[in-house]
Amino acid sequence: MKENKSYLRQTLEKNTFSVSAYLDILNTLLSSCKTKVAGEVSELKKASSGHVYFSLKDKKDGSVLNCVIWSSVYKFCGVELKEGVEIKVFGFADIYKQNGRITFKCSSIELMGEGELKKQYEELKRKLEKEGLFDESRKKEIPLLPCNIGIITSKEGAVINDFLNNLGQYGFKIKLVDSRVEGIEAVKDLLRAIKTLKGEKLDCLVIMRGGGSLESFLAFNNETLIKEVAKLSIPVIVAIGHDKDVPLLALSADKMVSTPTAAANLLNESWHRLEWEIKEKENAIFSFLSSFFESIKLLEYKVKEVLPKIIESRIDNLRMIIANAESVVNHNNPERNLALGYSIARKSGKVIKSIKGIEKEDIIDLEIMDGIINTKVNETRKYKSKH
Amino acid sequence: MKQENISQNIKKLNQIIDWFENQEDLDVELGLKKVKEAMELIKQTKERLKKTENEFEEIKKDFSKK
Repeated sequence: MKENKSYLRQTLEKNTFSVSAYLDILNTLLSSCKTKVAGEVSELKKASSGHVYFSLKDKKDGSVLNCVIWSSVYKFCGVELKEGVEIKVFGFADIYKQNGRITFKCSSIELMGEGELKKQYEELKRKLEKEGLFDESRKKEIPLLPCNIGIITSKEGAVINDFLNNLGQYGFKIKLVDSRVEGIEAVKDLLRAIKTLKGEKLDCLVIMRGGGSLESFLAFNNETLIKEVAKLSIPVIVAIGHDKDVPLLALSADKMVSTPTAAANLLNESWHRLEWEIKEKENAIFSFLSSFFESIKLLEYKVKEVLPKIIESRIDNLRMIIANAESVVNHNNPERNLALGYSIARKSGKVIKSIKGIEKEDIIDLEIMDGIINTKVNETRKYKSKH
Repeated sequence: MKQENISQNIKKLNQIIDWFENQEDLDVELGLKKVKEAMELIKQTKERLKKTENEFEEIKKDFSKK
């Protein structure tokens, strides 16, 4: 570096340049000296081309720096320039070769001072509200079981780690786009990040940063950024925290949470629910199976222990019935009685049960075990004591 | 005699017993016929009961192995 400087000094000392060449050298040197300059806006002129010319005045000694901001930059810088407003510009100086005037070319602008910031915040809030950007009806729901997640935040710092540490192990696919989230250049970075993620197939986009003051939230109160985010077809979670005033990007987002942990929890929510439902169903199945096996065991016990006893008792009962029937049949068996010496007397084929109607000389048949005796009645004697 | 199941045999036996118990005039031939029928039923029923009991014992053995 030292060598380069001394080489430049030697070149400048040794050579004579044309005005144009000298100014080219100066402009080359100036363009590499990007810086921030603070002052009060004066002599404001807005050209029909959209470019804005103004002077930045030092309040202490009245020093003046001519400035220009090209319309393409002014459009999305999110600051409405007015005379007397204190701002901070970022850029580099350049000498206009035709008149030798130095002009500071602004690549971004920030408002300074709590009062002006607050005033512009309230104005933009009213405007966006009127346009319906904060309406609940236009807010998109976070899809169930989101998987592909786009993240816009700074790779540096605790925010991304807090978010990832709290994200559940549900197979999330993260597409992270690094962006500055604070300071004068943040809007450009954020817009570029959104453009990058527009081409990705995402279920949800999360824009995150840590907390801070109203000034440090300036990027998230930028109208161009808010409208770009609102145009996205996927739901957007904004987790940027806030001071007293909620950043307008958070108000227009589909979901607003205060911390990266809360954003991770929001994404986990439907997965948690699913996990819980699966657990519930698993328990129900186990409980059903266990009661099913219990009933099988009971059935087995009944078949093994109770049924045999019923059957055994029925068999015993049948045996008794058969034995009883056998005894009755034997008792009534005429053959058995005849074998014992009993006989059956018949007159004209009819069994004689009484001596009534039996006369002397009647012919009767006596059936005994091995034949029939045909005989004549000699005498009948009626028992006195019987019947 | 046609092979009937145990319950039907018991039913028939009961009918024969009822017949004997309600008989006023003993018809020896019919009585004898009923006795023979009853004896046959008793024999059949005993055999069937024994067979059933054996099958049941087999099942009990199978169960106790499981």
